[in-house]
Amino acid sequence: MSYTLRGRIDSRLAAALGPAAVAAVLALALHRWWPVEVAALMVGVGVALDLLLYDRLLDYQPGWVALPLGAFELGLVTTLAIALDVRAPLAAAIVFFVASWLLAQLLGHAAYPLLRLSYADEGGELGRPGATAAATLAALCLLAAGVAWVTRPPTITLATGVHRGPIVIDREETLVGEPGAVVRGGIVIRADGVTVRNLTIVGGEDGIVVYNARRVRLEHVRVLGATMDGIHVRFSQVAIRDCDVVVEGSYAQGIDVSYSAYRGMSSIEGCDVSGGSEGIALHSSMVMVSDNRVHGTTLRGIAMTEMSMGEVSRNSVSNALGVGILCNDHSECEIDRNVVADTRADRSVGDRARAGVGIEAQFHALAELEGNVLVGNPVPTAAFSSARIEHRAE
Amino acid sequence: MRVAIVGGGLAGFVAYTTLLHGGMEPEDVTVFDASGRDPAAVWRRRAEAIRQQRMRSESDGHCLPTSFPGLAVRAARRRVSPLPIVQSLCNRYHPTVAEFLEHVAEVQARTGWETRVVARRIERVTAVEDGFVLEGAERTFRHVLLALGHPGLNVPAELEADPRSVHAYEPHEYAADVAVVGAGMAAATEWLNALAAGARVTSVRRREPLRRPLNVPRALFSRRGLADYHTSGAGARTELLEHLLEPSFPSGQTWDGPLEDATRLGRFSVASQVDGEEQVICATGFKRGFAQDRLLGRLVDEHRLETHDRWLVLSPDCTVPALTDADRTLSIAGAAAQWAYPAADTLVGAKYAARGFLSRITACRTR
Repeated sequence: MSYTLRGRIDSRLAAALGPAAVAAVLALALHRWWPVEVAALMVGVGVALDLLLYDRLLDYQPGWVALPLGAFELGLVTTLAIALDVRAPLAAAIVFFVASWLLAQLLGHAAYPLLRLSYADEGGELGRPGATAAATLAALCLLAAGVAWVTRPPTITLATGVHRGPIVIDREETLVGEPGAVVRGGIVIRADGVTVRNLTIVGGEDGIVVYNARRVRLEHVRVLGATMDGIHVRFSQVAIRDCDVVVEGSYAQGIDVSYSAYRGMSSIEGCDVSGGSEGIALHSSMVMVSDNRVHGTTLRGIAMTEMSMGEVSRNSVSNALGVGILCNDHSECEIDRNVVADTRADRSVGDRARAGVGIEAQFHALAELEGNVLVGNPVPTAAFSSARIEHRAE
Repeated sequence: MRVAIVGGGLAGFVAYTTLLHGGMEPEDVTVFDASGRDPAAVWRRRAEAIRQQRMRSESDGHCLPTSFPGLAVRAARRRVSPLPIVQSLCNRYHPTVAEFLEHVAEVQARTGWETRVVARRIERVTAVEDGFVLEGAERTFRHVLLALGHPGLNVPAELEADPRSVHAYEPHEYAADVAVVGAGMAAATEWLNALAAGARVTSVRRREPLRRPLNVPRALFSRRGLADYHTSGAGARTELLEHLLEPSFPSGQTWDGPLEDATRLGRFSVASQVDGEEQVICATGFKRGFAQDRLLGRLVDEHRLETHDRWLVLSPDCTVPALTDADRTLSIAGAAAQWAYPAADTLVGAKYAARGFLSRITACRTR
């Protein structure tokens, strides 16, 4: 068909009405915004492409061209969703996109020509119904934006200075610190959808505790002087980004995420973890650990253990005592592009597993290695107790 | 309701089905055609003459008022296979002539077409205050669509009296040594037909044919191309129409393969004039221009209608501007409507004119 510009936009917006309504219902049912955000991205990307690209390039569009164009739009929507931090489950978002695309094809090839005799003659323009569809869609977007605004989680700002903790957060909210804001005594999070940003937490047994909560975000937090865990996560799903954790003491750990596999994938990225027994410890959890710097630990730098699954990528682990990166106890670990340097042998025990191993697998664990740089470690890699290390081709 | 369609060929038939789809009852419409009640009769005779097997048009080339479901969907249902639809999405589905004719017969039976055709030749249309008087009919009609078909076969003057010559669209067999005059779709079809019949073929043509899938660029089938076309000046429009009328046929091995083989064997050659061949097939299309049609010629003369070159000037919806207003409509469908729609001589063009006609009737205060 040879679409006019208005025809393209009319057809697209009218076809988007159904998915937009479905997205609204899904959002209400799931108490999540991602369906609406994905629908809005789809429409936005589509209309932008119609305006900037398709109308100029495609004087005539055979039916089959919808397929590569759809794939192109899916790629763009996915990229934008990641860039804009739309928290949509990938598979569900793709199913939503594909279903919407199929509906648009059915409407364009069958329903519109049946409902409007001159649909093809008029280059896809839908006349008054098209304008009504656009207006309805705009109203729906405004309504969604209004609801989002009204129901947005409250933001609490902590002023510069020291605040006495522990602060307990048991509702969805965003806690933001002004420059120099410090909480002494820790923060406890027990609600879904909590974000903590730009805060320094000093002292306490655990610096930040996340317990039984989902969609928790910890961004730009500094945790100093906790006696047990800098960040302590149980039965939860978290995204920890750009943090600084400094702990001391033989039992202290930098970040510990445990018993959270059933909550879905968590992530720890861009953090600097210093000191303590284990820098990043993961038990029975699914976690992506990437772009962190871990140094000066006394037991292990990063440990993924107890049937955990995940990826340890692009981290720098240095000056660990005994083991740099450990994959242990039936865990499955993809360990790639890390730098592990200057791991020291633990001479206090006569254990080969602590002889300064750069990357180690223990007890039926599987570690898949690719592109790691191992420098100055007495033992670069080692596997014990029926564990396996597989080197993938680079 | 007083609606008349003058001409019971495919364009008239498409207009009839479109009017029914638009909510009119069969008894609201009278169709005038002297040659019978088969809307495909003339087209079939020509297709048979050139041994046409497949339609040049794609899935949209059918007589139903809506573009969906087209012939590809129909074929897919019949064959229980998605292949025709996939081919259609790639513009590769060309229904067979047999499939098309079967479809015409089905629609004809379903719509009560035969009961609406009056076997009468209309030779003159005269505008009166409340509509149009059709000479030969007994009533005045408020809304009239002229679907007159091509005004006749075009044979070069120098070959008119030549006993060897036959027009491609007239029944004929092939002699051993054949000259085919012309370079369009019918000529290309005749080259292959004659070669397949064992003849030696000379293609007589003044210029190289264009290779394009359809007569008209696809953008001109929709408002995308039509918007500019309708606002262009008469000179530019005439120039474009002349260009579009240049002979053409689709590219592809279906055409080129047999011609290359025959050229290698010395059985196919190109010449600028006829030279002693045993048979001369004139694949030179149809007479062109409103003046070639008796009814249209009279209409223009008697109502002093605006024309440009050999085209009758029409509104974008294929109506005659001077004879169409809020209470009456005179529409043109088929080749004579090219001023409004360059591909007017196709089925899609016939539907375009029919939709314009239907819109006018629907909007009429006194219909």
